[in-house]
Amino acid sequence: MSTRRGVGLGAFTNRNATAQSYAAHGSNLKSANAASLQAQLEVFQSLLHNFALEHAATIKSNPTFRAEFARMCNAIGVDPLAGSNIKGKKADSLWAKVLGHDVNDFYFSVAVRVVELCQSTRAENGGLLGLKECCESVARGRAIGGGLQVSEDDIEQAVKSLEPLGSGFVILTIAHKRFIRSVPKELNTDQSTVLEVLQLLGSVTVTLLQLNLGWEPARAETVIQDLLADSLVWVDLQCREPEYWSPQGLIDENE
Amino acid sequence: MNPAGQKQENTSDFVFPKSYNFPPFFSPQPTTLTREAQLRKWSIFIQRYCKHHRIFQLTLIETLDTPLFYNATLKKRLSLKDAKAVIDYMVSKEGDERAEWLGSERASAWIWWRKPEEWANLIAAWVDETGQKGTVLTLYELVQGETVEKQEFYGMDMEVLRKSLQTLVKKGKAQVFGAEDQQGVKFF
Repeated sequence: MSTRRGVGLGAFTNRNATAQSYAAHGSNLKSANAASLQAQLEVFQSLLHNFALEHAATIKSNPTFRAEFARMCNAIGVDPLAGSNIKGKKADSLWAKVLGHDVNDFYFSVAVRVVELCQSTRAENGGLLGLKECCESVARGRAIGGGLQVSEDDIEQAVKSLEPLGSGFVILTIAHKRFIRSVPKELNTDQSTVLEVLQLLGSVTVTLLQLNLGWEPARAETVIQDLLADSLVWVDLQCREPEYWSPQGLIDENE
Repeated sequence: MNPAGQKQENTSDFVFPKSYNFPPFFSPQPTTLTREAQLRKWSIFIQRYCKHHRIFQLTLIETLDTPLFYNATLKKRLSLKDAKAVIDYMVSKEGDERAEWLGSERASAWIWWRKPEEWANLIAAWVDETGQKGTVLTLYELVQGETVEKQEFYGMDMEVLRKSLQTLVKKGKAQVFGAEDQQGVKFF
């Protein structure tokens, strides 16, 4: 009776024993699971490695394929640029193993171009550069070695490779368009909203903001003036009411 | 955003910069940094335009209605005041001295898509290559002669030519002599 209902003092020891054996069983299961996952992961990584070796040439030459490969790596939590993915044995990154050492170099050289471009265009776009524009400009390549065939993902990867340097370069998305922000400045909600509207409409006026967003005149005016002061918008005064434009897509080949 | 790819009629295949189709390009930007970027873009645009059309001198008032300062598609224009500001920038050190006012009223200016010393170098190099050092050449044949037809300085403005040669004279690399319309030059 007492064992069934567990009301005596002995019940405490019993309960402890049960809890302990549950815990032991649990950790057994856990480690078994972990071991099998570990095995799976290793198999997967070696497959990925083989795949990468097999398609090295394509990865190297075809930006779309490279992007898809990078996306696949990302999806399973493998950062191809990082050095420690393949456990312990070698310090080289997956990229470096697959494509020889020049692949890290590839991203670094893209990164250099990106930094150059961000700096040279900062005065005109306030340090906000569309990934697409950046891509086109890098591909046109005025610099040494000519144009690099790169995809938007390559640029993103390159920007990420700058992170350890504390570069302050960040990828951000405004209205489904990706940008590189090279000036360490936080945009407030209102500013982001206006930039989103600019993405869609190309230009805005204070009145338009008031009517569509229900903002007070002062609020709309402040946001615009802030954006203007940061070179994030340009003003056209040859209209009934000043129009504010996003300076994306102003980069010229021959400048 | 920009109506890109628009062809500007009647200005044979000159490729206008993207900023040309960007309406704010024609209004002076209030932010200093932006303004600097804008002036730099204008300077490059004007130099390219003048080079393409082989324009050596701009008279602002006459240029205001041409495609250079007036975008007919956008109906945006550079005002006389703003055009002067752009040339002022080009004249300045920051603007790489890519222009030079003629007279103090600032009505017309030389546009140095090649500076006189750059022209001088081109000409001197050609004289050297063709083994004509020490020979007397007339200024006319130097820019209109058959032998220079393929050279970039073919048909260049006589006044610019004289200015260019002066830079060589100063360095002692050439000597110019003769009367106004019958001048000759000898390269050393």
